[in-house]
Amino acid sequence: MKPLLQLSDIRKSFGAVRALKGVSFDLQPGEVHALLGENGAGKSTLIKVITGAHSPDDGTLTVDGESLRSLTPSHARELGIACIYQQPALFPDLSVAENIGLRLKKTSAFAKVKHAEQRALALDLLKRVGAEISPDAEVRELSMPEQQLVEIACALGSGAKIVIMDEPTASLTQKEQHLLFGVVRDLRANGVGVVYISHRLEEIFALADRVTVLRDGESVGTHPVKDLTEAAMIQLMVGREVAALYPPAEGEPGAVVLSLKNLGCSASGVRGIDLEVRAGEIVGMAGLVGAGRTELARILFGITPADSGQIVLNGKALTLTSPREAISRGIAYVPEDRRRHGVILEMPIAHNITMAVHPVLFPGTLLRFKAETAMARDFIRDLGIKAYGPDAPGGSLSGGNQQKVSVSRWLATKPKLLILDEPTQGVDVGAKSEIHKIIRNLAKEGLAVLMISSDLPEVLGMSDRIAVMREGTVTAVLPGGADAHQVMAAALGQSGKEVA
Amino acid sequence: MSTCCRYGVDETSTLLNAVMTAAKPSLKSLLARHEVVLLIVIALEILLFQSLGRRFLDGTNVSNIFRHSVEIGLLALAMTPVILTGGIDLSVGSMMGLCAVCFGIFVNEAAMSPLLAALLAVGIGTLGGGLNALLIARFQLPPLIVTLGTFSLFRGLAEALTKGSKSYSGFPDSFLALGNSDIAGVPAQIWIFLLVALGIWLLVHRMTIGRSFRAIGYSPEGARYAGIPVRRNLGLAYILAGAIAGLAAVILVARLGEARANAGIGYELLAITAVVLGGTSIFGGSGSVGGTLLGYLAVAVLNNGLSRITAYQLFDQPISSVARELSGMLTGLLLLLALAVTPLAKALAARRTKT
Amino acid sequence: MNGRYSREITVAAALGLLLVALAVFAPNFFELQPLLSRFTSQMPALVAAIGITLVIITRQIDISLGAQFSMCAVVAGLVAAAGMPLGVAILAAVGTGIAMGAFNGILVAWLGLPSIVVTLATMVTWNEMLRLWQQGRLLPLPDGIQWFGLSQAGGQGLVIGIAVVLLLAAAWAMRHLAAGRHVYATGTDAEAARLAGIDPKRVTLGVFVLMGGLAGLAAVLNLVQSPQVQPNSGDGLELKVIAAAVVGGVAINGGRGNLWGVLLGLLLLTNVNPALTHFKMEPYWERAIQGLVILLAVVADGMKRSKKSTA
Repeated sequence: MKPLLQLSDIRKSFGAVRALKGVSFDLQPGEVHALLGENGAGKSTLIKVITGAHSPDDGTLTVDGESLRSLTPSHARELGIACIYQQPALFPDLSVAENIGLRLKKTSAFAKVKHAEQRALALDLLKRVGAEISPDAEVRELSMPEQQLVEIACALGSGAKIVIMDEPTASLTQKEQHLLFGVVRDLRANGVGVVYISHRLEEIFALADRVTVLRDGESVGTHPVKDLTEAAMIQLMVGREVAALYPPAEGEPGAVVLSLKNLGCSASGVRGIDLEVRAGEIVGMAGLVGAGRTELARILFGITPADSGQIVLNGKALTLTSPREAISRGIAYVPEDRRRHGVILEMPIAHNITMAVHPVLFPGTLLRFKAETAMARDFIRDLGIKAYGPDAPGGSLSGGNQQKVSVSRWLATKPKLLILDEPTQGVDVGAKSEIHKIIRNLAKEGLAVLMISSDLPEVLGMSDRIAVMREGTVTAVLPGGADAHQVMAAALGQSGKEVA
Repeated sequence: MSTCCRYGVDETSTLLNAVMTAAKPSLKSLLARHEVVLLIVIALEILLFQSLGRRFLDGTNVSNIFRHSVEIGLLALAMTPVILTGGIDLSVGSMMGLCAVCFGIFVNEAAMSPLLAALLAVGIGTLGGGLNALLIARFQLPPLIVTLGTFSLFRGLAEALTKGSKSYSGFPDSFLALGNSDIAGVPAQIWIFLLVALGIWLLVHRMTIGRSFRAIGYSPEGARYAGIPVRRNLGLAYILAGAIAGLAAVILVARLGEARANAGIGYELLAITAVVLGGTSIFGGSGSVGGTLLGYLAVAVLNNGLSRITAYQLFDQPISSVARELSGMLTGLLLLLALAVTPLAKALAARRTKT
Repeated sequence: MNGRYSREITVAAALGLLLVALAVFAPNFFELQPLLSRFTSQMPALVAAIGITLVIITRQIDISLGAQFSMCAVVAGLVAAAGMPLGVAILAAVGTGIAMGAFNGILVAWLGLPSIVVTLATMVTWNEMLRLWQQGRLLPLPDGIQWFGLSQAGGQGLVIGIAVVLLLAAAWAMRHLAAGRHVYATGTDAEAARLAGIDPKRVTLGVFVLMGGLAGLAAVLNLVQSPQVQPNSGDGLELKVIAAAVVGGVAINGGRGNLWGVLLGLLLLTNVNPALTHFKMEPYWERAIQGLVILLAVVADGMKRSKKSTA
């Protein structure tokens, strides 16, 4: 059978970061083809190439027999490609019906909008999806899962031959997941090809026919799902034996550095957190996207202050209302979104590294360039940052080296507690193990480390203890030697069994 | 483990580092530097006016170039930190009007000494800047629309205070000397200007707050995550701009001997032009005080030079009599050109690599 | 309705209050003839306000519209003075506006320059060009131009009629044409619009061109109300209409707003000054009040936004 979509040797770089290094992929009619990979493996970039949001640097796309160098979003749509994004790409100021109409009806700008027809279409699609949403509601009034359902309705109504779903269940509740699975099976029965991306292996076993695994921007193999076990899939994703890869823990943890008592923040949905982190200890924090892990980090860093419970650092109860305050108390936070929050790409490495220690390094507020350059050189040497010097702009570095700059900035503050949020996301394999070594060595020197990660092998391999979060609170604290299924079960609650 | 590998990174990466340090890209060719291009533009302007006008480079005229434009230079200096943070302040010209009128009222109707009145006028500028700061930094409102509002508000208050037409004059000679005398052969107000320039240069290039202006301009969120007091520093940029606008108003009144509600009309454009011409990115982050000074020089020379051309005619008028309009128009075009040159070059380069 | 129309209701209430106060304390405000000419004189601003509303919804701004207005008025006046028929003068005005709008649009949409600085620069360029060219001369118009050659009442009726038809057409198009939807979508999220197959650059260029064309039409509607053309007739118009849009609930961050709110905002703002004079207050406060109203509207928007984000 002729494939609906064929990608061969697709390459794409962003500055120094090579996101896709020659990916090949094909999709047959009436197939659910899962795309699997760790965070930063290149899945999102690949999707954006298929939908025309990015044009590849090299390689060809063949859609329905037609070979192309690249696509535009409207061309992709004409070719029958529809996509449900992780973050709904709807227009909050327009109504549900208007959003659906805008997506589905390619009309000339000066054509009249047929409101009644558009509303009827929306009503029909929402019914087929099984969503109880008024077509007249403004999208801004909808909850996240409801918006996701509108996206699904759009995909369903598009008459697309190729539907891409990027972690569609990430924000869905049980009931809505079942609706979604019904839609996917419905599409497959009608000969549509579905590219399905999910971190939840159970879903892949329940839905997919074949699976392609991406690792560090390359496709490492395509297999029929029935030929694989869960362990084999993880093996393909990670590509190496978990245990051997991570630096071993040494010595016993020291005194309690951070202690959280019934901590909560209603604005960010975090509640009732009890947790301790000791000096010299790495506490890994696992959980699904949206479980409240980053939100917890933001509370500890004073960005969204807590409104209940207690934060105790080295025996002293703290109220943290700004990052500055948190820094002065000895808390450091290496944020998840490196390009937006971690490193200012246009500024030199040296400026980035000293940014959080201005009051200490520059008493009297006058800049001391020699001291700044010396500090930057020290970190460049100690952390092995690959750059032409302290003056190199952050953006000229690869992802892994940017992350090292971000870590340097926080080590410069001489923190007592280091919070790392997805420390190796978008980092290639070599730099990844270097960063792991750095983290372990910091712990050896007596730092208390809280490491948030969605990369399960990383959490398992690095942590002395593992805290698992679900729906805004810590549901389990497991010992470092816990196995993957224990962690996943705690992260999923009971849903893991109900999915299939 | 050797000491250089405190965090346990392999020796090889340190070696690689050394190699990459050696491969540092050579300095961009001198011609590509913004400041050099500006210097050439200024030199061409001077050459042109020297050949067209009479005694353009004559000592009196050179000091006149600065005397008559120092207020614009001050506003450009004030605008530089604001634009570095990625913001804009459209209200500085109107602020001059308000401060000038207040100064006139203080001296003429409240019989204050000019020094006290000047201090109060600067204080009013600071307060006005504080209003901008409050709305922009504290309430996180867009600078563009906030300062468009205060642009109207400040000028409107100046008009209301003078009932639209009243002007204040009759200031003591000791005060007028500020605008019209020389100290050590240099116009008195230039000394003040140089002092302010030095201060702003220190602030932007030698102090941590200047570093934070850039960080905010590139990425306000990134700056906040690095523990920089974003709101406070952003507010300071606008407060400072207001204070300097107040100072510029006092100097303008001293030069003209008259305080009116229309003082400083259109100066915000000239100041923005000087800053952008000087290479500061309108999107924030990159730029320099030195660039602003050169940009100001280019604007000032253009203004002065046009007014001295007599032999040429435009629309049946001698150019010198239409110099104000002509230089306004050319300044607008110059600003557009300065803005467009980088994205245009980028677009052309992108097209070339595609084909 | 979840407060979707709360801004319109607030502004309408404020306007109502102002009118009631005038009815009680200054009943001669409502004498038919002066009221009608006052209303007619506000029509050019209404037409310009339609344009700026679209520009702001697209998340842009155009402060050169006053300069465009002045330039179009002079061009139309010169064409009429040269003995051409009124229709040609109108076409010349609209064409000039479109050209100036396209200039802004190209710089903003294609080169990605910030519209505030681009239109600040074009505002000064056009204004100074005009002063250079006309030297502040009043341009007398030939007979048959004022009030379109009709009686005063007929002319006023036609001016009001054209403006109202334009408003209705624009309001209809924003709701019923795909193009209207594209304008909202581009202003809400240009990237999402691109993913939905809309070309945000074309939309941006389009609204600037439309703004220019409407500035030209507004200039014509102003021109026919007097026997001569002032070379700076558009001075300050940009502030008046931006204030009207912001007061009328158009979000300065794009994506939100409708023309009925803008109409109410404009009526409120333009009646403040006559009200001041009727209440025997000084009219010099107009500009200050305009500025204050802009700031209040922006602060109200900001408070609404922050309330929503914490909820």
